Amino acid sequence: MNNRPPETRTDPDDETLPCGRLLSRVWADWEDAVHDDHTAQCAHCRPAVADLERLESRVRALDAEPAQTSFDAASVVDRVMDTVRLELRPGRPLPLGDAAEDLRIMENAAARVLRRAAEEVPGVRAGSCRLTPGATTVEVALSVRAPLTTPDVRAVAQEVRRRVHEAADRRLGLRLGAIDVRVTDLVAEAAPHREEESSG
Amino acid sequence: MTGSPARSEPPDDEALRVDDVLMTERAAEGDEDAFAVLVRRHAPALLRLAARLLGNRTEAEDAVQDAFVSAWRRLPEFRGGSSFATWMYRIVTNRCLNVLRARRPQAPLNDLPDLPAPAHVTAPDRITEGRAALHDLREALATLSPEQRTCWTLRTLDGRSYAFIAKTVGISEQAVRARVFRARRRLTHTLGAWQ
Repeated sequence: MNNRPPETRTDPDDETLPCGRLLSRVWADWEDAVHDDHTAQCAHCRPAVADLERLESRVRALDAEPAQTSFDAASVVDRVMDTVRLELRPGRPLPLGDAAEDLRIMENAAARVLRRAAEEVPGVRAGSCRLTPGATTVEVALSVRAPLTTPDVRAVAQEVRRRVHEAADRRLGLRLGAIDVRVTDLVAEAAPHREEESSG
Repeated sequence: MTGSPARSEPPDDEALRVDDVLMTERAAEGDEDAFAVLVRRHAPALLRLAARLLGNRTEAEDAVQDAFVSAWRRLPEFRGGSSFATWMYRIVTNRCLNVLRARRPQAPLNDLPDLPAPAHVTAPDRITEGRAALHDLREALATLSPEQRTCWTLRTLDGRSYAFIAKTVGISEQAVRARVFRARRRLTHTLGAWQ
């Protein structure tokens, strides 16, 4: 292991054992499972190692006690999300329909609908979804993960684009320009998160 | 390292890691539902970490709560150089380090209220050996510097490598080793009565 303690004493808190070895060195050897004949037999090194072993095993036993490991995680989650909901970042307003209609949807709300549409393609998971308003349309940059087993990645990307366009058109009335779909990763299996997500 | 301390992290699951990346991207773009998924997933491990560092459940809950809120505010600048889990681990550790630093008396002449007697003095019959040992350990830990205590906790209780701790706390690996050594030295000395 790198950066092990030096052979000579540099730390004023270190101790040179009567056998000439530094305590820091003896403990580092124990920690890195470095064995040598001296330590195994030395009347000074062995008790020093025993001290440390006793400390480590006792504190771990205490750490594992049930009282040390039960927390009210749910209430922490609730308190965090209460604060987060007071500090939402909805993004920019995007134009809906024709300019004359003067309707807007917030970027974050639109992105949520488009990600969901992309995920209707089997096995596809959507990540970043950025929406940039242009003169008359909104451009989309969407990153997705597809299953590793996908036989035709390009076809999947095209299907994602089709669904996103359809959702923007029919569900939102959002006029999209370019839809940039990036397959950023091919992953072994779909992550089990949907129930988690919908419960919050 | 002998033994295998239970690390304060969720199961090492590839699918969950991929999902974390997606959820972090979404949360960074303002999707609070994605952030809620991350908070629910990582809160238990981070609470365990904070409780180990602070030795106090209420303070641990406050530290983790503050860390998540701070993460939500900083997410738009998060570039994904590390995983969400590692990033949060760092925020929580440094938050706890600050709590430990604030605990140390600022001025020695401050009037301090009388502290209640330790439980094992007032109720001798009901105290198990384990609780007394825990009390002794807490007292011994309180004598460590915040930096020693933090490095020692991450190493011994959370089973982290010296390199990982160095990165988390933002000091050199050599400095981490020195702090862990000093903490062990003091703890083996103070807890000699356990022998």
